[in-house]
Amino acid sequence: MSEDNHLFRFTVESNAFANCMPGQFLEVWIPGVGECPISVCSDSADGIIELCVHRIGRVTDALFKMEEGDWLGLRGPYGHGYPVDEMEGRNVILIAGGLGIAPIRALLQYILNRRERFGELIVVYGMRHSLDLLFRHEMKDLYRRSDLRLFIGAEEINGPEVPPIHTQLGRVTDMLRLAQLDASYCAAICGPPVMYPFVVNELKLKGLTEQKTFLSLERHMKCAIGKCGHCFVGGVYTCQAGPVFSLADLRFVPEVVECANC
Amino acid sequence: MEKSFVLAKSDFQKFLQRLSTFGAVHAPVRVSDQSFAYKPVDLEKEIAFEALRTILPPKKFLYPQREALFSYDESGIVSEPQINEPLVIFGSHPCDLAGMKVLDYIFTAPPGDSLYIERRKHILIVGLSCLPDKYCFCESMGTDSVDDGYDVFLTDIDDHFFVEVATPKAAELLSDNDFLIPASEPYKQAFKDFWHDRKALFTNRFETSNLPALLDLEADNPVWEELGNRCLSCGNCTFVCPTCYCFDIVDIAQLNGKGQREREWDSCQFTDFAKVAGNNNFRPGPIDRLKFWYRHKLHGFQDAYQLPTCVGCGRCTVSCPAEIDDIVGVVVRLEGSRQRDSIYAKEEKN
Repeated sequence: MSEDNHLFRFTVESNAFANCMPGQFLEVWIPGVGECPISVCSDSADGIIELCVHRIGRVTDALFKMEEGDWLGLRGPYGHGYPVDEMEGRNVILIAGGLGIAPIRALLQYILNRRERFGELIVVYGMRHSLDLLFRHEMKDLYRRSDLRLFIGAEEINGPEVPPIHTQLGRVTDMLRLAQLDASYCAAICGPPVMYPFVVNELKLKGLTEQKTFLSLERHMKCAIGKCGHCFVGGVYTCQAGPVFSLADLRFVPEVVECANC
Repeated sequence: MEKSFVLAKSDFQKFLQRLSTFGAVHAPVRVSDQSFAYKPVDLEKEIAFEALRTILPPKKFLYPQREALFSYDESGIVSEPQINEPLVIFGSHPCDLAGMKVLDYIFTAPPGDSLYIERRKHILIVGLSCLPDKYCFCESMGTDSVDDGYDVFLTDIDDHFFVEVATPKAAELLSDNDFLIPASEPYKQAFKDFWHDRKALFTNRFETSNLPALLDLEADNPVWEELGNRCLSCGNCTFVCPTCYCFDIVDIAQLNGKGQREREWDSCQFTDFAKVAGNNNFRPGPIDRLKFWYRHKLHGFQDAYQLPTCVGCGRCTVSCPAEIDDIVGVVVRLEGSRQRDSIYAKEEKN
């Protein structure tokens, strides 16, 4: 993929993760280093589970240094994912910003594996820099499909990457304006916290209801069983009630998307 | 077996000895001029019966500051901790009993915390009555008396303790003795009088009926900025709180590939508590964190568990080095002029 992002494929001997749903997460434990929550990046099938990991902290850094055959701990799946049952039969737009593509890819695979159950499908994938594009080959294939519309946008576009892929200059919100959305769509969103207010605002302008707008909250779930307190927002534990919430459920919850980069 | 007894104070050592047949008795002991801590005791004279609030609440027994979750080596997880050390916690007041009930609720809520549940089975709790000082506001929080959450409860009535035996575990431990006498009418009356008269001794109180609404309405009140700017982010308020339960999980690794996974108390007042990947921090400054703590104590928990988590023990108020964890004072200020005139101003004059 790219230097600091890697798709890890785990062969799971038990069927512990067989019912893993898009939007749920696992806790990845590297002995001697620590644990971190990572969202599932694939539709669960065949005892294989994929996690797309960005190398950003202690645990992920250690993960990148591991070799095939090393052992680590996986526990999960935890939390509530995207409400696929509610989305069935409807037009769907998937919106990913940066590494937010990881859970969105799981949801996309889920939908494509059951394509007939869903209505029209739009995928919007935005990133800071065109070199940050993940799953380049898969995106290339998606562009060829006639049963979905794909918009890829970057705030900065540089140099030809292989294979070349059609990338527009702009932010996620610019792609949304191109996408010809209407109120019949339900939206599944995952991206950096800073992206949410703008995306939500744009979706509201298009008439999407809060009940049909689902977003995944970024929190550092340490225990994942509603005890350690790290992911507490408003009255709920993100690890149990979320990480995916409908916008309506978050309406009165403070500190949902505001955050500072420090 | 009868439920209510009296114990002559002259027989207390016998009672203490009987408790110690269950497990090591830990009780408040004076550790400095003005502070008390739970320590193991053998003798009556070691116990500070006058102790109101120990530095740390008895949560340290139910949920230790640091504990092993499991140990591992190169082959995988090798062992999980065995918890079977019986323990008696003596001298917890109603606020702390209420605090332990909150912890019970949190740690047993599905999925239950197996370590906590196991440890809790081996603990016997002996409550003790108390008289409030100027920091106690358990009466406002409704935790000035508790109907359960203890195995035995002692109420101090002059030269006797009125003893309530509440659980089969305690009844079995205290069966066949020569120090508990079934409570006769005058003692029962003395017991009722004690709890009745005690109500009148509370001076620190506030209106709690609209707390969640108040916290919502006053989310942008300047008081948060004023207090937050003085906050040192030391985390004292959370460690001394009988109901603060947040923890971090860490790996303690050795060079030989073996190691232990441990959990330790964490605090929402620490800078990194709400930090996520990419250095994004949902509560970067002390103002955000202090407001979060107040909100969690007085509002947020109501949503999650339908019970307030402040038990009115006053520990945060007395242990805050910046003197900003005055829950009563802050709520009264949030409530506005009418309340302030009636209570806060009066206290300031004092």
